[in-house]
Amino acid sequence: MAQNFVQGSIVKLQRIAITGMKRNKPLALSSMKFCNYSSSAQQGSEEAKVAGTVKSVFISQSNDIFTNLALEDWLYRNFDFTNHHILLLWQNSPAVVIGRHQNPWLEANTAVLSEHGIEIARRNSGGGTVYHDRGNLNLTFFTPREHYSRKNNLQLICRALLREWGLKTEISPREDIVSGNYKQISGTAAKLGRPNAYHHCTLLVDVDKVKLGHALHKHNKGIKTNATQSIPSPVMNLCDLNSHVKMEKLLASIGWEYLRTDPYSAEDKGEDFIGKQRGFQFINPTDQWFPGLEKLRAEFASWGWRFGKSPKFNVTRTFRVPRELLSKDELTDQELSITIDVNKGVVEDVLLTVPPRLAAAKGFSGQAQVVTSLRGQQFSEEAITMLQKALSELESPEQTRNEFVVHCMRTCILALEDEKNN
Amino acid sequence: MVTLTRLARVLLRRKFLCRHVATYKVKPALSFSNEVQNTFKFADLSVHLASPEQLQQKPEVTALQFGKHFTDHMLKILYHESLGGWQRPEILPFENIVLHPAAKVLHYATELFEGMKAYRGVDGKIRIFRPEKNMERMNQSALRAGLPTFDGENFIKCLCQLLSIEQEWVPHSESSSLYIRPTLIGIDPSLGVAQCASALLYTILCPVGSYFSGTGEAAVSLLADPRFTRSWPGGCGDKKMGSNYAPTIHVQQEALGQGLQQVLWLYSDDHLITEVGTMNIFMFCINDSGERELITPPLDGLILPGITRASILELSREWNEFRVSERSIPMSEVVHLLSENRLLELFGAGTACVVSPVASISYRGETLHIPTERHKYPIYAKFRQTLTDIQYGRVSHPWAVPIDT
Repeated sequence: MAQNFVQGSIVKLQRIAITGMKRNKPLALSSMKFCNYSSSAQQGSEEAKVAGTVKSVFISQSNDIFTNLALEDWLYRNFDFTNHHILLLWQNSPAVVIGRHQNPWLEANTAVLSEHGIEIARRNSGGGTVYHDRGNLNLTFFTPREHYSRKNNLQLICRALLREWGLKTEISPREDIVSGNYKQISGTAAKLGRPNAYHHCTLLVDVDKVKLGHALHKHNKGIKTNATQSIPSPVMNLCDLNSHVKMEKLLASIGWEYLRTDPYSAEDKGEDFIGKQRGFQFINPTDQWFPGLEKLRAEFASWGWRFGKSPKFNVTRTFRVPRELLSKDELTDQELSITIDVNKGVVEDVLLTVPPRLAAAKGFSGQAQVVTSLRGQQFSEEAITMLQKALSELESPEQTRNEFVVHCMRTCILALEDEKNN
Repeated sequence: MVTLTRLARVLLRRKFLCRHVATYKVKPALSFSNEVQNTFKFADLSVHLASPEQLQQKPEVTALQFGKHFTDHMLKILYHESLGGWQRPEILPFENIVLHPAAKVLHYATELFEGMKAYRGVDGKIRIFRPEKNMERMNQSALRAGLPTFDGENFIKCLCQLLSIEQEWVPHSESSSLYIRPTLIGIDPSLGVAQCASALLYTILCPVGSYFSGTGEAAVSLLADPRFTRSWPGGCGDKKMGSNYAPTIHVQQEALGQGLQQVLWLYSDDHLITEVGTMNIFMFCINDSGERELITPPLDGLILPGITRASILELSREWNEFRVSERSIPMSEVVHLLSENRLLELFGAGTACVVSPVASISYRGETLHIPTERHKYPIYAKFRQTLTDIQYGRVSHPWAVPIDT
């Protein structure tokens, strides 16, 4: 039926193959004979196509880190940026975001974060850990892979800051934006794929630096790993450089600067150039507006992605055995050492090094049970629950010894400060 | 005595008249002739993009009710005879319109509009469906309403630019579209029933999600009451003018009050069926010769020349699977065919829902049950599938043109 009128139609159709589209959709056809309303359709050359590139600034309506990461991923996978470059602006409620190859237990104080309702998220791009809150602006620059340029993007930001507030900022050799006194106001990371690429960065506008410090404070937790380790650096807010800098104005001024910049030469083309672009758009990142978004969000929010994706590591802690657990004639300086091997977020093996007296002491029989009950468990509070259950089922008159072991294990896993070892 | 050049005289006259014109940003026409410009040009389009604080938040798709939400920008083109006619088209942030209290549209309904849609295809591109036909119809309406005409192609290009800017208002899910409402109003600030010397052509857009309530995939029940007439010979029922619609609201309320959904508009003592609600009507039956026939009322001045209607007729003629006729249909024929089980389907056709099957008609105190939905392969469903396949790019066709993306 459909074939009939396509074949029967008066106008001949030509096939133009569209390559690189990630969506598995039918090829688009177009005819040159009937009225074509696209102004660049008459030009077929690559240069002309490039010349017709327009820009949009998308502003996310969501403040949920997982939704925004999912939106970023959705655009990266599904959008065709050939003639349309996009800058996505987003802000999140308090969250710590680790890089793709990082270890969340190493980079952040996981127990403290969950107490304060601060999320931990893992992004798709590499690099180090950052702290987000509503005073932080995230920018993602989307282009086709061959037109990716971090430098251009960062220069654009510096120009916007200069134009609006006269702020002088520089790009450091590590491609971070720094203020005059070399304090970092922005962190940067990227993902290059085919056919799309993105460069995203943060801008500290009015972040709560106290919370940032607490959230990212690293403790000596005895973790050994090949994961990417963050390089801490002193940071500063834009509002400290100039008290007039406000988030709303910053959004607008970076957006306008992006729109007036040539997508390829990165030159400032002036205000008239803006009229040729698509301008600002709010984006409501829900599954109904972007089918498939919910699935991506669920993945970003899953324990398996956030924690499970950590490269293999082991954590070693030693604990002083409390005096009450030792008999009178033992030395008081006895230590229990625990090493846990974790792979894909799951406990692979546990090694307990128990002081001989504790091991031989009547009632302490839990060593084997500790290991077997923890193996295969997620490296989380759930493992502790399993352990407690396993130990409590043992017939042991000295429950305090088992409780001590459980306490040590919990400390290991939740990386709490051990008060006694302070 | 000073002898002014022709140019100087024109400029002086224009300068004098300018003082009385509303303070829009208008640049004077480039040509130095006194002749009225008969169209505006896409090449003169200026774009003022909204800044973030002027943007509207996007609601949930399921919350998108038809006609209740609008996008961030609009297209505006002014016409002032005193300034040489059509001015430069503008795309600017969505704003209210300020009118002089004597503006003709407010008194004599010198107004016309169009209804069309932009569809997000399966390949993600935005397409518009046969826009040139809307432009033809709009210009016909303008002539009748005493409003200025314009070149449709230039308007479509400006519209495509607007759609391009607003395309994130169309959800990325399938079956999502943007409803386009071009409107032309007479804004002459003077009472007096006369040709408009000033007019405003503007276009606003409404996002339409795939699940918005009101599309009615279910068949509708109709009220056919010969007391009410929508159009008459010599009238303007065949023009898409606002003045045709206001009088129908009361009748629609009557239908709703009787528990029915739409009005079947009848004309003359023969109770000819003309239109249903705001759609054209089609009847599919087995005629006296025993062959299947698709019939719709002719464009004799009573009927709005719908673009969906035209598309259905063209498709039918191309398929050549049944007879196609454009002729009047009296209610008596409907009743007669129904009694002989030869009435197969009755359905409305329009932009909003493509086709709308009719389940029943309340006529002269009786309810006529129409078996539209009781067939295995109803023709109205085939039309809907074919047209939506074209609109959403599942099938490539010259009727649906991608805008510049």
